[in-house]
Amino acid sequence: MRLLRELSRRRLRTTLTILGITIGIWALVVFASMANKVNGYVSSGSDYYVGKVIVSDASTGGIGVGVVPIDLAVADEIRAMPGVAAVDPQVQVPFDAVEFSGFGMPSIITGRVADADQGLDRSGVEAAQGRLLTADDEGLLVTVLGSDLARELGIALGESVDLRGVAFEVVGILAPTLSSPDGSAMVPLAAGQALFLDTLPPTLGAALDASELASQMIVYPAEGADQAALTERIDALPAKLSTMTSADFDQQVGSTTLIFNAIIIGVAVISLVVGGLSVINTMAMSVTERTREIGIKRAIGGSRRRIIRELVAEAGVIGVIGGVLGLALGAIVVLLANEAGRSSGTILFDLTPLTALFAVAFSTILGMVAGIVPAWSAARLDPVQALRYE
Amino acid sequence: MAMLEGRNLRKTYRLSRRNSVEALAGVDIDIETGEMVAIMGPSGSGKSTLMHILGLLHAPDRESEPEAELRIGGQDMTRLSDSGRTRMRAAGMGFVFQSFNLVPTLTALENVALAAEYAGVPGRAAQSKARDALAAVGLADRADHRPTELSGGEQQRVAISRSLVNQPKLLMGDEPTGNLDTKRSTEVLAMLRRLNEERGQTIVLVTHDPEVGAACDRIVRMRDGLIVGNERRALVPRPRRIDAVSTPALVMG
Repeated sequence: MRLLRELSRRRLRTTLTILGITIGIWALVVFASMANKVNGYVSSGSDYYVGKVIVSDASTGGIGVGVVPIDLAVADEIRAMPGVAAVDPQVQVPFDAVEFSGFGMPSIITGRVADADQGLDRSGVEAAQGRLLTADDEGLLVTVLGSDLARELGIALGESVDLRGVAFEVVGILAPTLSSPDGSAMVPLAAGQALFLDTLPPTLGAALDASELASQMIVYPAEGADQAALTERIDALPAKLSTMTSADFDQQVGSTTLIFNAIIIGVAVISLVVGGLSVINTMAMSVTERTREIGIKRAIGGSRRRIIRELVAEAGVIGVIGGVLGLALGAIVVLLANEAGRSSGTILFDLTPLTALFAVAFSTILGMVAGIVPAWSAARLDPVQALRYE
Repeated sequence: MAMLEGRNLRKTYRLSRRNSVEALAGVDIDIETGEMVAIMGPSGSGKSTLMHILGLLHAPDRESEPEAELRIGGQDMTRLSDSGRTRMRAAGMGFVFQSFNLVPTLTALENVALAAEYAGVPGRAAQSKARDALAAVGLADRADHRPTELSGGEQQRVAISRSLVNQPKLLMGDEPTGNLDTKRSTEVLAMLRRLNEERGQTIVLVTHDPEVGAACDRIVRMRDGLIVGNERRALVPRPRRIDAVSTPALVMG
């Protein structure tokens, strides 16, 4: 209470200082929430690639949905290689016919034979309602929807869903994973192949047999197998394939993450410098104004430590208030932006409890550290001199 | 018994590299327990410096010869560190200043309680001690007022109650009546006198005011950093009434 009374002596100045910190922490909260989301995608992506080699047509390159078909016969060639435990050929088709252009994960229709990975896939998706697909579903028009996709489409278990013009029965809805499966629809391989064929240019599509197509294959190396040697062998196949391992992924995406994290650190440093300097300035002015008062306190027996503690606590309170306000403001922005983006599937921010805690703790410590310098100079005042100060 | 013994007290203030002022040029002083003493002298005579040293706000020069000695209640004070002096000020000293020097953001009660807290009394107990101390100066009903809401006389009484809250060995006043009109100044002086007589409180006052001097048991006169006179009141029974304040009865000591 006394602290708040001290702070309210110069209301405008205190308010402006708090506002400075509020803006810094607000920026920190918003950027950190964005980084959380991006890093979340990246690490779930990175986890996805662990223990796998993703094979797609060389012209597709990199990550993303394979758009140039691979002959399914290649799967058998790879399966025959030493050090291969399983090959899971898939087709992936964008959910929307319209080209997806936005932030976040695009919705995808994935067609695959349910047991093709032979239990090696560790992504751990589970059905929240209904069931997952099985090998027995091959040839049927059934689908399992990701949680976000089901909510967006407003489709419940047992209803029929229109996937690129074909009606599928929804037999399951996945539990949220907070990563790409949330926006996906799983279908049996044959159904996926049919949808995939339709996406190809008619001149190309007419020459192909749907059941011979895949857009990518996931190769599971056997335990202890030399992954580098395996990718080399796959690259050497006449089919002109490109391979992608977790190391490749981390390398490609790692630089993006680095830039993002650099922005966060940059924002944090700027708010540290600006906020910290303004707290130092405010507290230094307070100390000058209160020179006499500090003299009184020292004279009647207030120890140096006690003077420092009082002033540092005051600066800390500025930091706490600024931090809480900045967090509140940041949370509002994050909520509104996520709400606005929800319809288009563009969830940009993830404000975690840890981020919130960090932001407030950061600004509190910032305030206190910035308060130390003026508090120290106050504590060193000679009481007699300070009492004479007008 | 001597409450306070000072020997060879010197204080030199360095104003710049070449310019220094010897504010105290070697002073010996004794103050008895239960005595009420006025230190008087013209500006620049060193009386404030002496009070700052006796009140442990400053330390005497340490390198001077012969060596300075300062004992309060028999305890040596010359070797105390800054924090040691601070602790001693908190628990063993009370200060009353010319310009009251209350903390403006705190109420009368909080100002008094602050001194108790500095002496190590925990919050709740400090509050109740402060309430008692305010009641002793007749300000119980003003406890929740800020200094700006109090008259000068009331502020000085708050300051006196703050100086007394820890039952200090020594109460020091630096021109305690300097900012008060005659009526208030008489009141404050009477209050100090009563404290001295009824509780045996040892009091040292630095003052210009002859009336303050007249109310004390002894006047120590200073000039140019030295003690030049010691006037002791006649050893006649002290009048119990505050008329003593206006009837100086002093002889050379």
